[in-house]
Amino acid sequence: MLSSAHPSTLPLIELRNVVKTYLSEAGEFTALKGINLQIYPGEFLGIIGKSGAGKSTLLNMITGVDHLTQGEVIARIGSQPTSVHTLNENDLALWRGRSMGIVYQSFQLLPMLTLLENVMLPMDLCGLYHPRESRRRALELLEMVEIAEHANKLPAFISGGQQQRVAIARALANDPPVLVADEPTGSLDSVTADHIFELFERLVAQGKTIIMVTHEMALMPRFSRHILIQDGELIVSPAATLTKN
Amino acid sequence: MRPRWRKVLLDLFENPTRTLLVVFSIAVGVFSIGVIAGAYVIIENDMSASYAANRPANIELRMDDFDRDFLPVIENAPQIAEVEPRRVFNIRARAANSQAWTTLDIVAIEDFDENQLNLLTPLQGQPKPARREVVIEREVLKDIDIRVGEDLVFQLPDGSEKTLKVVGIVQDPTTGADDFLAPPFAYITMDTLPTLRQPDLFNRIYATVEGNGNDPEYIRRVTADLKDRVEKNGVAVRRTRSALTNQHPLASTVNAILGILLALGVLIVFLSSSLIANTLAALLNQHLRHIGVMKLVGGRDRQVFAMYLVMILSFGLLALALAVPFGGIGAYALAEFIASQLSFNLLGYRIVPLAFIIQIAVGILVPLIAGFGPVINGSRISVLNAISGELANETGGASSPGAKRETLFERFENAVNTALLRRGIHLPRPLLISLRNTFRRKRRLALTLFTLTMGGAIFVGVFNVRTTLFAYMDNVGRYFVADVTLDFSRPYRLSEIEQVARQVPGVEYVEGWAFASAEILYPDGTVAENLVVLAPPANSRLVDAQPVAGRWVQAGDTKAIAITEGILRSFPNLKPGDYLDVKVRGQQDRWLVVGLFKFIDREGLIAYGTYEYFSRETNLANRSVSFRVVTDRHDEAYQRAMSEKLDKHFREAGYQISQARPGLSALNNATESLDILVIFLLIMALLTAIVGAMGLTGTMGMNVLERTREIGIMRAIGAVDSEIMRMVIVEGMVIGLISWVLGLFLSIPITYGLSLIVSLAVFETPIDVVFTPLGYLIWLGLVILLSVLASVLPARNAARLTIREVLAYE
Ligand SMILES: Nc1ncnc2c1ncn2[C@@H]1O[C@H](COP(=O)(O)OP(=O)(O)O)[C@@H](O)[C@H]1O
Ligand SMILES: [Mg+2]
Repeated sequence: MLSSAHPSTLPLIELRNVVKTYLSEAGEFTALKGINLQIYPGEFLGIIGKSGAGKSTLLNMITGVDHLTQGEVIARIGSQPTSVHTLNENDLALWRGRSMGIVYQSFQLLPMLTLLENVMLPMDLCGLYHPRESRRRALELLEMVEIAEHANKLPAFISGGQQQRVAIARALANDPPVLVADEPTGSLDSVTADHIFELFERLVAQGKTIIMVTHEMALMPRFSRHILIQDGELIVSPAATLTKN
Repeated sequence: MRPRWRKVLLDLFENPTRTLLVVFSIAVGVFSIGVIAGAYVIIENDMSASYAANRPANIELRMDDFDRDFLPVIENAPQIAEVEPRRVFNIRARAANSQAWTTLDIVAIEDFDENQLNLLTPLQGQPKPARREVVIEREVLKDIDIRVGEDLVFQLPDGSEKTLKVVGIVQDPTTGADDFLAPPFAYITMDTLPTLRQPDLFNRIYATVEGNGNDPEYIRRVTADLKDRVEKNGVAVRRTRSALTNQHPLASTVNAILGILLALGVLIVFLSSSLIANTLAALLNQHLRHIGVMKLVGGRDRQVFAMYLVMILSFGLLALALAVPFGGIGAYALAEFIASQLSFNLLGYRIVPLAFIIQIAVGILVPLIAGFGPVINGSRISVLNAISGELANETGGASSPGAKRETLFERFENAVNTALLRRGIHLPRPLLISLRNTFRRKRRLALTLFTLTMGGAIFVGVFNVRTTLFAYMDNVGRYFVADVTLDFSRPYRLSEIEQVARQVPGVEYVEGWAFASAEILYPDGTVAENLVVLAPPANSRLVDAQPVAGRWVQAGDTKAIAITEGILRSFPNLKPGDYLDVKVRGQQDRWLVVGLFKFIDREGLIAYGTYEYFSRETNLANRSVSFRVVTDRHDEAYQRAMSEKLDKHFREAGYQISQARPGLSALNNATESLDILVIFLLIMALLTAIVGAMGLTGTMGMNVLERTREIGIMRAIGAVDSEIMRMVIVEGMVIGLISWVLGLFLSIPITYGLSLIVSLAVFETPIDVVFTPLGYLIWLGLVILLSVLASVLPARNAARLTIREVLAYE
């Protein structure tokens, strides 16, 4: 699995000396202290650290959900490289919608829409698929995550694990090359969590690049590569050194 | 349907109470604007059209009797086009099967086929009576229950009775259009006059002018010239009246009243828009997480913006669907009501395009404008803020990390608390929580208070205006102290009438008055105003006068008058002590103005002089044609009974009595029309109060919804249902009471403004404002009731939540 990183190709996403400082009424707090990171196509990257280490902050820098204080984030998804940190909110939304699927611990499905409609929503907003096409595609995705028989139910009527599958299907709606997941198994029991993890492994096998945040050290061996983060700094691990070569 | 539009659709039904609240608040505004704008257009058009269609005379002269030979004097007068002579006289009538007498004005017309002016609109039966037949105006039906084909019994001056058959019912929209106190009309031909013991003579002229019939200045000049000409030819003119061809005499009054209603309608729209803004801001706040998710999966600002814009438009369309039909019906109902009050016809039910357009514009634009701010704020929010919860610029919500500064209110509250504690007073904790909750959402509170305060202030203001109007009428009533007014067809000696009147038990006091009519002249000799001088004895007990400047007339005054303030229209600088040039019975004279008083100047001005002087001037010393009687009781029913008794008594004693009127009836008629106006104002005030209450309901609902988690925690630590409900209701009442206190102040300028507009419209003069505690007390009760009602539903919802539901809420 380690060989899935390609030292010869350009990184898909590259963080250069990224610093994030929060300003709050309590004062300044630097959550990321100069992060350098390359993520290559086809990787299943685990970002592992304790609560408060800065994992979510790091993900927000990659997805452009939050603005960095210093440094650069360059993504080579699509035809041209994109400087994520220079995009405005609207361009970011469109770029993110087409190139990244995002999965949160708390599923974040819209409660009034059916599962099918939830999956169709990104296609509707980004306009990459014809409406009829998008319905067919959403059904396919629900089939892939094994929820198709519930397609017309509302999120409240299925279990947490099933909701997370729908969230993953939604993340894949616009067929983005990258999937970003922030503690996707955090609120699930261990059996269900395992199913989700297996789903990720299958997606990686199909060629997706997945970045997943977790605080469970036990999951470490199952990633193609992992990095450890503590107090806003990366702890250099043997695997990381290996791929960096 | 695409998912995002499905979301918009489902959001509309997600919280039906909220949707209804927004839809109703838009609908109330649209409805009131629709009703008023529609009625305005219909009346503006139909009132004058219906009036003009009946070819109103420009000039009316009330004269002494004249015969056909005199007509050429008028017909050949310069600038006079058509002329029609009539005989109009007072008579008492009843239905054949009833004993209740009613006074009618009989109009005798020479030839109904040649009738050119003040046309009659046929309603039922024959519009043209033959000899010994009568046609009645529809107003008669209000006083006498009679049908076409039945007989009307008339009482002649000598007490005998004559019967005429009613052959038709007509409407006469022009004759007496500006005098809603006049008795109803009935029409006969000249050859029926002998039957009613009336001479075959005319006493009235109706005429139109040549050229522009809509130039008031020109018509007045022609009228004055015609009057001069008639008097020079030996016939006295008692009274003149002029009117425009294309404008109902009361059009400006009605328009002014509709204008006030329109202003209130606009205010309601304004208030409802602040309600809409409030609700939408809360809705967007509740939808932040949804917006965050949509942005996360690729939604851009304008897509989110468009979604919520469509939502607002849907609110507007729903409101329009509700309000436009009712608005159209209401407009016609209001117009019809006003038309029936003023006796003109509407041209039929119709949709007023202008009102329709205005309603659509209000229904679409008002929510768009009100919702624009919240929606822009909501759709511009960043994903991070949206997912983590709060609109960046809304203060006082869930606190961001870090110690917050103490707000001004918290400091105030702490100070009050410590002060109370030092005196050993403990405010109960739930009350404290209610108080603190009230002030958590400052902007929302401000908007709610604004709406409720406005509603209350207008409500209170209307009550004050009502009291102001009635106080003014009371003031006018001081000049109507007599219980019965007796008018005779010829003069009688004072002592004689007094003696005969006293034979009727209940009569306490009798006074004979003199009258004079005059024209007030400008220095250049042209006529400025028509004046009627009432001349009671100098020591009269029947005028409780309160001059606003100078003094009242007194014994020893000769060519001296106290005159109504209406004179200031023509002579703005007139002061007591000044002289007025007048023309009395063709003679120029100068009268001293000793004082000014307030009165309703509807037709010409009124002045008071002394009987002692004016009776000699009119060659009626110690005699009079008009007497005022005071009886031992003063209610209207008794006055009416005494009028009948006196009338009968004098007739039986062989006196030529023409009329016996209860004193209060004229005043009550006038007060009645004021009541109608007040009812309209109250309806508008209630609408504003309802908008205010809806605002409060919305606010309480939003407050409770946002505090669901908190309420759950309170229940988890042992608060019971009733405590939670009480907390919410007390919060609602605190808001209600604050708005009441603010309303105390705001009602002052509103009262002054409304009174000024109304009094200018109705009395054509500003009147003194009177405040009444009544409105404040009623509003206090109402606002407490409304705020309890407004918070009961949210409070029940809050109490119903289970701990599990509440803690799961996000
Ligand atoms: N908006 C914020 N303002 C201030 N401090 C923040 C903010 N968001 C996160 N932090 C702080 O940054 C640090 C890293 O947070 P985060 O990236 O969420 O950690 P985690 O590794 O648990 O995901 C934490 O100490 C957190 O308190
Ligand atoms: Mg985290």
